[in-house]
Amino acid sequence: MSDEEHHFEAKGDAGASKTYPQQAGTIRKNGYIVIKNRPCKVVEVSTSKTGKHGHAKCHFVGIDIFNGKKLEDIVPSSHNCDVPHVNRTDYQLIDISEDGFVSLLTENGSTKDDLRLPTDDNLLGQIKDGFAEGKDLVVSVMSAMGEEQICALKDIGPKN
Amino acid sequence: MQGRPSDLAHLQSTMHAFELACNSIQMHVNPAAAEATILSLGQSPRPYQACQFILENSLVANARFQAAAAIRDAAIREWGFLAADDRRSLISFCLRFVMQHACSPEGYVQAKVSSVAAQLMKRGWLDFTAAEKEEFFHQVKQAILGIHGVDVQFTGINFLESLVSEFSPSTSTVMGLPREFHEQCRSSLELDYLKTFYCWAQDAALSVTNRIIESDSAVPEVRVCTAALRLKLQILNWDFRDNTNAAGGVRSSINVFSAGVRHDNDSFKRSECILVKPGASWRDVLISSGHIGWLLSVYGALRQKFSCEGFWLDCPIAVSARKLIVQFCSLTGTIFPSDEGQTQEHHLLQLLSGIIPWIDPPDAISKAIENGKSESEMLDGCRALLSIATVTTPFVFDKLLKSIRPFGTVSLLSNLMCEVVRNLMANYTEEETWSWVARDILLDTWTALLVPVGAIGGNALLPPEGINAATSLFALIVEAELKAASASAFNDESDSDYLHASISAMDERLSSYALIARAAIDFTIPFLTRLFSERFARLHQVRGITDPTETLEELYSLLLITGHVLADEGEGETPSVPRAIQSYFVDSLEADKHPIVVLSGSILRFVEQSLDPEMRASVFSPRLMEAVIWFLARWSCTYVLPTETSNGNNCYSGHDDEHQLDSHHSSKDFLSFFGEYNQGKLMLNIIVRISMMTLISYPGEKYLQVLTCYQLLPALVRRKTICVHLVALDSWRDLANAFANERTLFSLNSAHQRSLAQTLVLSATGLRNLEASNQYVRNLMGQMTAYLVEICSKNDLKNVSQQPDVILSVSCLLERLRGAASASEPRTQKAIYEMGFAVLNSLLILLEVYKHEFSVVYLLLKFVADWVDGQIVYLEAPETAVVVNFCMHLLQLYSSHNIGKISLSSSSSLLSEANTEKYKDLRALLQLLRNLCSKDLVDFSLGEAADTNMSQVIYFGLHIVTPLISSDLLKYPKLCHDYFSLLSHMLEIYPEMVAQLNSEAFAHILRTLDFGIHHQDTEVVDMCLRALKALASYHYKETLAGKVGLGLHAAGCTDPDGKFQEGILSQFLHSLLQLLLFEDYSTDLVSAAADALLPLILCEQGLYQKLGNELIERQANPTLRSRLANALRSLTSSNQLSSTLDRMNYQRFRKNLHNFLIEVRGFLRTV
Repeated sequence: MSDEEHHFEAKGDAGASKTYPQQAGTIRKNGYIVIKNRPCKVVEVSTSKTGKHGHAKCHFVGIDIFNGKKLEDIVPSSHNCDVPHVNRTDYQLIDISEDGFVSLLTENGSTKDDLRLPTDDNLLGQIKDGFAEGKDLVVSVMSAMGEEQICALKDIGPKN
Repeated sequence: MQGRPSDLAHLQSTMHAFELACNSIQMHVNPAAAEATILSLGQSPRPYQACQFILENSLVANARFQAAAAIRDAAIREWGFLAADDRRSLISFCLRFVMQHACSPEGYVQAKVSSVAAQLMKRGWLDFTAAEKEEFFHQVKQAILGIHGVDVQFTGINFLESLVSEFSPSTSTVMGLPREFHEQCRSSLELDYLKTFYCWAQDAALSVTNRIIESDSAVPEVRVCTAALRLKLQILNWDFRDNTNAAGGVRSSINVFSAGVRHDNDSFKRSECILVKPGASWRDVLISSGHIGWLLSVYGALRQKFSCEGFWLDCPIAVSARKLIVQFCSLTGTIFPSDEGQTQEHHLLQLLSGIIPWIDPPDAISKAIENGKSESEMLDGCRALLSIATVTTPFVFDKLLKSIRPFGTVSLLSNLMCEVVRNLMANYTEEETWSWVARDILLDTWTALLVPVGAIGGNALLPPEGINAATSLFALIVEAELKAASASAFNDESDSDYLHASISAMDERLSSYALIARAAIDFTIPFLTRLFSERFARLHQVRGITDPTETLEELYSLLLITGHVLADEGEGETPSVPRAIQSYFVDSLEADKHPIVVLSGSILRFVEQSLDPEMRASVFSPRLMEAVIWFLARWSCTYVLPTETSNGNNCYSGHDDEHQLDSHHSSKDFLSFFGEYNQGKLMLNIIVRISMMTLISYPGEKYLQVLTCYQLLPALVRRKTICVHLVALDSWRDLANAFANERTLFSLNSAHQRSLAQTLVLSATGLRNLEASNQYVRNLMGQMTAYLVEICSKNDLKNVSQQPDVILSVSCLLERLRGAASASEPRTQKAIYEMGFAVLNSLLILLEVYKHEFSVVYLLLKFVADWVDGQIVYLEAPETAVVVNFCMHLLQLYSSHNIGKISLSSSSSLLSEANTEKYKDLRALLQLLRNLCSKDLVDFSLGEAADTNMSQVIYFGLHIVTPLISSDLLKYPKLCHDYFSLLSHMLEIYPEMVAQLNSEAFAHILRTLDFGIHHQDTEVVDMCLRALKALASYHYKETLAGKVGLGLHAAGCTDPDGKFQEGILSQFLHSLLQLLLFEDYSTDLVSAAADALLPLILCEQGLYQKLGNELIERQANPTLRSRLANALRSLTSSNQLSSTLDRMNYQRFRKNLHNFLIEVRGFLRTV
């Protein structure tokens, strides 16, 4: 793996950086990591050495948290990796529009209408069915490195 | 068999259908249907005529095989109600069949029928009279003696083989009978028949020996002889018990459940070596009959024939003969008269002289094998040496050979092993070759010699010549290891797996090397010292000039070898100095000149150089440091600040060694060198500095840090005497300070930080008093709790909390708190309680903000579970209330986040990760609940108020946790286990709380119980049955007392659709009976099932009667029907069963249920 791939993202709009450097040796399974400029969840970490008496290196297998693609990377243990800033926000689901967008209620009372429904039929079904049954749904929206996606759904009881 | 024509036609058609099914299963045509046809024959009532017809008439071998299997299945099932004549005729049919078809080419059909005969014979063994058995065995004997020819002779022997294996507990077939039955059969066969069988086998072998020896090619008699040898081997492998010790009588009832376990051979892991102890009654057959001489001469004659056609080194008869010879080498016990071992020595000498040609001269043998000769004879020779070493002392072992050779057996062993090691050196591969196998067997032989069974830790003494042999062997072994090390230094291919396993995989081999080394201790220690100094010097010469890798790898090996030689594995205890080293006496009186001190000192001086950054960069590779840390951990356990010297006590006074006085002085002198008043503290200081350096200066070297955090440091704090000095050391203070106040150690893997926290907290036991210890912990952890509290009080917590750096800090802090919590000890309990108490609120805040961040939530739950676990037993009522309240809040919050939550992702692996996360969380929650439960097991002083409080939180916990538990999650074995143990605990202790659960939660619990009863893991089923027993007996007792008990839950109700739903106890009575009568389960569960069934029956008398009647009515056959009715009656009435739930009554019912099941399960299961 060449080092060019480990560059820092430009600072984000809110002043918070999108990624943080962290020593490869401290990244554990279930954590996050940036591989090939994509935010990933680490599903496997293994360590090996460069030659018998060389230094340790970490082998990461990650899954892109947005598109589910598997990515791999090898980094010397003592070097830094980029770790994405993954944020999750809960919104109440107000409406599902015809053109595939959802309407969400934010904490301060305004609405957020720029999020698409998932394209996967199965997931789409889970959201639409719940909504159609009149349940009160809270969706969790995951955002990282400038992308966002609905990642979880929670039923907080029937709509009154 | 001659029936009327219509019968015949019917049999014919059955046979055709059966043959068709057997054929189509082989061709894979509609296998399910074919299988059903085949099974249906065995399951139909009394299929014997049809089966026998098929056996005798079918031309399809497979059909005959299946027909035999059907006879077996049906007969075992119906045995209870077959007439005595029928039983006997089935066995004689099978026996007659095998004898008549002795020359049939389909050996597998013969073997099957033979084994069916053997199984049926065993099934009826306790019922048959001696005369009836005699009748069967008469036939067999005639056959074995060769009256009906060679083929029948072979068949007869084969039958006995099946019979013996059927009666041997480890190879017997399941018959649905209690273990006592198998045990009685075993002991009866051993007492009355085994020796007879052996003699028959011997007679059969004798009768054919001459023919074999005279002929130059394979004759049919060879087959008979091979079978006879095999049978003998099998009989000698028998687990003899009744003869071995005189104190009989007591055992037989107790031993039943440890059947098959031998306790005397646990020191042999790799090469099987089972002692043969047939007892005095076998002396005439095995020892005084010249049997051994015959066996050796037969094998000797065979050896001459290996060039002939039909004979070779690995032909079956040769293999069997060698195995039997090896087996004879491990003969021991009362079979030898008490003549100070003379008979046994003579016996072993006779065997050894027969075996010698297999292994001597070693160089020629090894050369022959390299040139293509089979190695099996040589390996068997090694095995024989192992067996002999196992049954003798080193002295006798060595003496054996001296009467026929100018050297002793130990020298031969050493030469042989040297040859093997040379061969290994010459052909260095990663693959397993004959020399690998030989080396392992021979190493075990050394182990058997040097660690006699029963002796603890000490080395048995070798005769002087043996010491010389060990010396040259050890030198060669080290040479070979070093050569292998330098050859593999650049071997990058043997990748990470090898690295992980390298230390532990070599461990076993290295400890055998160590035994050899210690046997020649006078040579070993200076030798190792020299090897080390050569390599140190070489490193200094080449530093910066050439690549030192080869030398590094050699040092790596040397450190491992030396670590094993100098010290034993502690396994959590403090290992004392090995006896060979204790008694290592040298003339020098000065402690610092003692060879052990010199060797240890030179290693320590070398590793100390790793503290110098320049040396570290050029010499101390991470891998070398791994060996260094491993060595320091092992060595310091035994040598640094030894307990004995600081007390000034002589703790070895128990040994009656003749050198005791001298050796004691010697050992005390050199040990005091490492003591408190000499170099001890200095060495400890160096070790701590090196540990800290590995944590800081080797960033990301996980395995190195694992060794430091999990082996070296915990080993140091294990002993209080060391802790006392540790806490006073500057280096330890630096470590604690870096941990508490600096950021550097945050870059360690967070799990390692946990272990470090635990170690540091444990070292507080070294402080003078309670207050100082607690203050130490407060100073250590105060910063961290303060930091957590501070983070949680930030206004923008919600925003910053998701930043990776904040997540990392929080995770590390939680891990550290958890490490400290798991180090709870009475001395520091107070400070650790305060530590947890300080962050309780913050934890709830963190749980809220990190509700989506699994990794943090999990650490948080684990911390709470560990903290509660460590604290709960110490807490007073008010503190308990605080903890319990907090846990309630935690559970509520967790469930509000997670109930009804669905993870959405198009990636299946991310979804399965999410599932695993859920599982881990739940397990942590269950652990927390269980830890809370432990309070009510240890503490009855809390009084009523606290008690209800506790039961409430657990009740509440169940309410929260159960909806999260799905049947998918119960597929995780650990979770399943935890869940059911919690559930059975709850139901046993607080049935009244469970009765108050709302109907939904209650129904869920019962669904999981029902799931658990049908689980495969018997432990899970057992827990469910216990829970069921608790539930039913609670209801029964309550209702007897005029209370409601389970109330509505038990009463049953009408559901919204108008259908009547049975009460839960009725449902369980139903499903439990169904399980017991018709399904498969382990017989071990019957007692637990009886305990659950009794209260269920008492609660639901009416339903039980109804079910019983239904069962009886379904039975068409009048005999079976009356049997069933009787059995049901005696289930509830025999043994003076009453309707109370006391211990006595439970026991009676267990017995009744056992009898009931034996009586009726056979025919019920086929209906």
